[in-house]
Amino acid sequence: MTKPEVIADPATGEATGQASGHPFGAGSQPGGPQVLLVDDDEVNLLLTSFALGERGFRVTAAGSGAQALVSLVEQAPDIIVLDALMPEMDGFQTCREIRGTPGYENVPILILTGLDDDASIARAYDAGATDFYVKAPQWSLLGGRLHYLLRASRTRIELERSKAKLARAQDLARMGSFEWRRLSGSGLTMSQEALRVLGLGTQETVSVRTLVRMVNKDERRVLLRQLHGALRRASTLTTDVSLLLLDGRQRIIHVEAEPEFNERGQGAGYSGIVQDVTERRVAEDKIRQLANFDALTGLPNRRQLLWRAERALEQARRMHHLCALLLIDLDRFKIINDTLGHGAGDELLVEVGRRLRSCVRHSDQVMDGAAETLGLRFHRALEAVGRLGGDEFVALLPEVADEADAQRVAQRVLDSLREPIFVSGQECFVTASVGVALFPRDGNTVVDLLRNSDVAMYSAKSQGKNSSAVYSPTLAGRGRAKLELETALHKAIERDELVLHYQPKIDVHGAKMAGAEALMRWQRGGKLVPPCDFIPLAEETGLIVPLSEWALREAAKQARVWKDKVGFADSIAVNMPSRLFERSDLVEHIHQCVTAVNVPHRVIQLEITEDNLMKELQNVIPALHRLNEIGVEISIDDFGTGYSSLAYLTTLPISELKIDRSFVRDLGITPQSSAVVTAIIALARSLGLRVVAEGVETLRQMEVLHRLGCGLMQGFLFSRAVPSAELLNWLEQTVLPRRAPWIAVARTGQSPSELQGPAPSRRTH
Amino acid sequence: MALTNDPPPRTSGLDAQALDRLRELDPDGRHGVVHRVLTAFESSLARMCTVLEAQAHAEVADAGVVNGIAHTLKSSSASVGALSLAHACADVELRLRLNPGRELTPEIQQLLDESAAALAAVRAMLRS
Repeated sequence: MTKPEVIADPATGEATGQASGHPFGAGSQPGGPQVLLVDDDEVNLLLTSFALGERGFRVTAAGSGAQALVSLVEQAPDIIVLDALMPEMDGFQTCREIRGTPGYENVPILILTGLDDDASIARAYDAGATDFYVKAPQWSLLGGRLHYLLRASRTRIELERSKAKLARAQDLARMGSFEWRRLSGSGLTMSQEALRVLGLGTQETVSVRTLVRMVNKDERRVLLRQLHGALRRASTLTTDVSLLLLDGRQRIIHVEAEPEFNERGQGAGYSGIVQDVTERRVAEDKIRQLANFDALTGLPNRRQLLWRAERALEQARRMHHLCALLLIDLDRFKIINDTLGHGAGDELLVEVGRRLRSCVRHSDQVMDGAAETLGLRFHRALEAVGRLGGDEFVALLPEVADEADAQRVAQRVLDSLREPIFVSGQECFVTASVGVALFPRDGNTVVDLLRNSDVAMYSAKSQGKNSSAVYSPTLAGRGRAKLELETALHKAIERDELVLHYQPKIDVHGAKMAGAEALMRWQRGGKLVPPCDFIPLAEETGLIVPLSEWALREAAKQARVWKDKVGFADSIAVNMPSRLFERSDLVEHIHQCVTAVNVPHRVIQLEITEDNLMKELQNVIPALHRLNEIGVEISIDDFGTGYSSLAYLTTLPISELKIDRSFVRDLGITPQSSAVVTAIIALARSLGLRVVAEGVETLRQMEVLHRLGCGLMQGFLFSRAVPSAELLNWLEQTVLPRRAPWIAVARTGQSPSELQGPAPSRRTH
Repeated sequence: MALTNDPPPRTSGLDAQALDRLRELDPDGRHGVVHRVLTAFESSLARMCTVLEAQAHAEVADAGVVNGIAHTLKSSSASVGALSLAHACADVELRLRLNPGRELTPEIQQLLDESAAALAAVRAMLRS
């Protein structure tokens, strides 16, 4: 700016613009504050314009109130200076009009009055003026006053803005502020935002009493205690309260307040904020629930259990009592899951969870701060059943009197599962194996206790399941050995540590070998591990699948070798677990094994135990048919020990029954054995199946079997399972030269005196 | 109040101190502030004299008009250094406030006399 611009001649009211041509105020800075100067006296208008221009203001001069109002539309002055006494519309009236103009509610307005005019001063404030100024020719004073008003105005604008920002931020954060004074009327002042948070109208006044009444009844007493406590100590107040707002909404409000003190250092009141934290709390609760509880059963999860167990151990250490951890693992859960589907499996787990929790004093929630509230009884609240994952549950008993106490709970767990569980419209009988570990005897840390209860649980399983076992250090040794075995078995195939040994099947009548059964052996570090030591583990871990596939490949290769060497044209039987029959690629795998060495499919025979077959019958049947179609014969192993459905037996595509060694062993000792053997032979005959007797160790057994009509046998009498090279030797040195004693007996059909069988066996013939 | 209690002697010239203050607004005279302000004062004063003359011849003078002129002239005459007129205006204003219903002829005459003197002084100043 710079130059005063008189927009109208003060005397005539005509627009003149007379001052606009003057380069007044050369010393003022461009962009200085814009002043609207209103005075009916031309001389004063000019003088004041010059004076203010000189001091850096940009001046717009108006000769009357009416002109001032017009100029407001065109200009946006930063400040307005009005002469109080003007003809027609005086300064006060003009001031009122300006204040009523939108956008000018807060523009600073200075009213010029005479020195002896006290009444005008009061009128000026009434009309909404920011300040008054007594006319004087000391221009620098006027300039100073204008600068002061402008600065105050800017500060006020900034304050308003930051207030608005704060209000917006508080609204977004669902937050508002309040003040409470100890010794004043209602005492409580709440910001509009705070009122909104509480669902109240922004004009409403609210008392502490009203607010307390909104608090849920069961929390009210606690809150009042907190309030009084904070007041008494003049301490900070931080709490979350559940409010039932007047509009019926249930919200959780976070309150945080700081005490304020008077000049004598006494608590004068509080100032603070209220914040609606409902969503946050709901989300936090959800997170806590997800983080600490199993989604399926609603029981504490591994994390929560470990946390509780840690707390329980701390307490047990402090109070010198015992603490027990029960690891509960369902027996054969996988079978249920596989046969009934995962949905049913889940249903079952939920019911099991429900029953298990009834076996202990289960607490779902351990509240934060429960340790302080419950004190010495805190650890009891930790007692719970949780789910570690899968079909594994843990019962945490934070205080037990002795081992027997823990065992009683273990028994309660087993008992709780005695009743069948209905899933998918079916009755399921579930059992569990429970391992018990006690603090401090069986471990000082949660990890140790878990591991040792696991060891105990496995021991319970290996002792026939549906039982419990308490940890002992000897169990742990066994467990470690097993773990090592498992690791080593994993590497056995790639290290070529597995071998097949072969036991010949003997056609007694023809005194010749009529095939062989391949039996797996593991040469581990120079020692031969017997199958009973690693096959169950292989089945348990699933390693049985690659092991069996390897066995098929080896058997096919061996058949080729023997064919080339001795014209072998029979089959080699390989033992197959039922799970291999369920694999869709079994047929393809066998096909590859035999074609790779160019032997017919029939050189491979598969043996499946009767137990295995019957358990998985429906799943196995399709594979049996396909195998039969390509010429692979199926033999049923250990026949007579399981519960075969004879009806099924007539329709299954099987070729051979192998009489279980237990019947053979007792032949000639118990009459029942020969009765069973006779029955099996009769059955096989009528179904057109071959019969092979296993475990033949004596000439007497051989003779009886032969007499009963079973001509195919296996057993130590002929040969144990031996490496393939040895088998060839045996053939060459024993069978072909017909040197073995059994050959003589078989050929002559003579009964050695010691072969006199018991009467019943003869009767069955 | 001090102005009315202690009226300065009438002078034919304008107060030097007031004129100095005017000059301070435009120290090197580049903007002709003094001349412009005196010119504006002269024309404003002449207009007011016309109004006062009319009031003097009116049957009943309008106290509001007279008071308004006194108020306006009070500060503008003080600004240009016509101190005697400024005192007279203040005096009239006070008297009218203290005794609103009074006969106005002496006041109007007083203002006219002082105005004529001031006008002469301003014109002389402008001529110089």
